[in-house]
Amino acid sequence: MASMCEATTRVLPGAAVIEISGEVDGSAADVLTNAYQAAVGTDADLGTVVLDFSAVDYINSTGIALIVSVLARARAERRKVVACGLSQHYREIFDITRVSDFIELFPDLDHAVSQLTGPAA
Amino acid sequence: MTQIARPAPRRLDAFELPSEPGNERLALARVAETVQGLGLSESRLEKLKTAVAEATMNAIEHGNGNRAEIPVEVEVTQDGDDIVVAISDQGGDAAGQAGPAQEPDLLQKLDGAQSPRGWGLFLIRNMVDAMDITTNGQRHTIWLTMRTGGAAHGEHV
Repeated sequence: MASMCEATTRVLPGAAVIEISGEVDGSAADVLTNAYQAAVGTDADLGTVVLDFSAVDYINSTGIALIVSVLARARAERRKVVACGLSQHYREIFDITRVSDFIELFPDLDHAVSQLTGPAA
Repeated sequence: MTQIARPAPRRLDAFELPSEPGNERLALARVAETVQGLGLSESRLEKLKTAVAEATMNAIEHGNGNRAEIPVEVEVTQDGDDIVVAISDQGGDAAGQAGPAQEPDLLQKLDGAQSPRGWGLFLIRNMVDAMDITTNGQRHTIWLTMRTGGAAHGEHV
């Protein structure tokens, strides 16, 4: 099954953003794995990965498993993962699965970036 | 005492899909169209769509083993205030041998003690007002019930 998921990455000071679009299901495995690798590159000091779901219209249970795998890898590498742009429905699924206990959620990319790059409280 | 007759369940739709990965999207779209206007709020409709997609995906993958020639059957019924979606496959034997599904534990998944997968039934249970599973020989059916018009499943209205 061809993947209906695309991802682009960009690096900000101290954080990398993975902008995901389309459908996050089983066919998205390579897309997400490659995007994560491209995002963190060889920068061991990169502290935060932002998953931007603004252009995602479908996430299924296999997609949740892929996100858990990304989170597990990031934790092993001592990186923080945050997410933004989730619809209310998928925010609820992140809560039900407890993924939101480990991935801080922001309404949109601007909020996420300003929180990550803004002055310390 | 006067008794008011309860209307008989009304079949709204019934269809089959080949057991091919991705066809769960067809099931959720058709069920969503069928139940449009029956009193589900937008958020509860999204939950039903997720439950239908997950149940259909299980039927395609685990029930029918991705064999396209064995169809997944979907039936949508209105029974009083309930919308009931029945999704059937031919994996009754496998379901009987599988035993109870392991409850997903995110911390164990992050630590590698559990597979990252295994969220399907957990999600379904948390999306609908009731979930039942029946097996009759080869035929394995999951029943998803969503109440209309009320504040079911913790929703504020």
